[in-house]
Amino acid sequence: MPRILGVDLPNEKRAHVALTYLYGVGPALAKRILGELGIRHDVRAKDLSDDEIAKLASHIEKNYAVEGALRRQLMQNISRLKDIGCYRGLRHRRGLPVRGQRTRSNARTRKGPRKTVAGKKQAPKK
Amino acid sequence: MSRSIKKGPWVEPKLVAKVEKQSKAGTRNPIQTWYRRCTIIPEFVGHTFMVHNGKTFVKVYVTEDMVGHKLGEFSPTRTFRGHSKKEAAPPAT
Repeated sequence: MPRILGVDLPNEKRAHVALTYLYGVGPALAKRILGELGIRHDVRAKDLSDDEIAKLASHIEKNYAVEGALRRQLMQNISRLKDIGCYRGLRHRRGLPVRGQRTRSNARTRKGPRKTVAGKKQAPKK
Repeated sequence: MSRSIKKGPWVEPKLVAKVEKQSKAGTRNPIQTWYRRCTIIPEFVGHTFMVHNGKTFVKVYVTEDMVGHKLGEFSPTRTFRGHSKKEAAPPAT
């Protein structure tokens, strides 16, 4: 199983699909990378030569933010917003939607599972 | 949708004039302003603004990281103090 930047690529997938197993590499970027290095899209990951793997690894690491570096970059962007105390930072701190979505209903992705508050009693039956 | 780059950032000319006056004089007094929509430009760094939030003026000390944001982003307009608590539970009998 070829390894690139600490991630195992699946043996049986074609090269341009296999590369998308890296965090930060999607279908479009995968194809661009292969194009830049002149490697065919349709070879299976297991058929890539060691030389090609090494070339891919160094090329990706040098030119694109992926995996840990990308995650770190994201975290830094968010913590910058938090530090300067702007509206978006406040929303991040409170775990609420940042881009002006409604919160009266929905917004469950940001807010997490519902925390039901015991409310009013139901109207008594006649 | 974000603003067209062609137009450049929107800055209130009066505010820039005030900041420049202060920079020249070397003073750093808080500048009271209602221009929440004014973009923070590099010249503002190190100055203090009192940004109106509809009710009071919130003190905003501008740092380098804030460049490119709007003044209003640092002066929250809403207060949320949490939901009302249920009245104290009745004592156990």
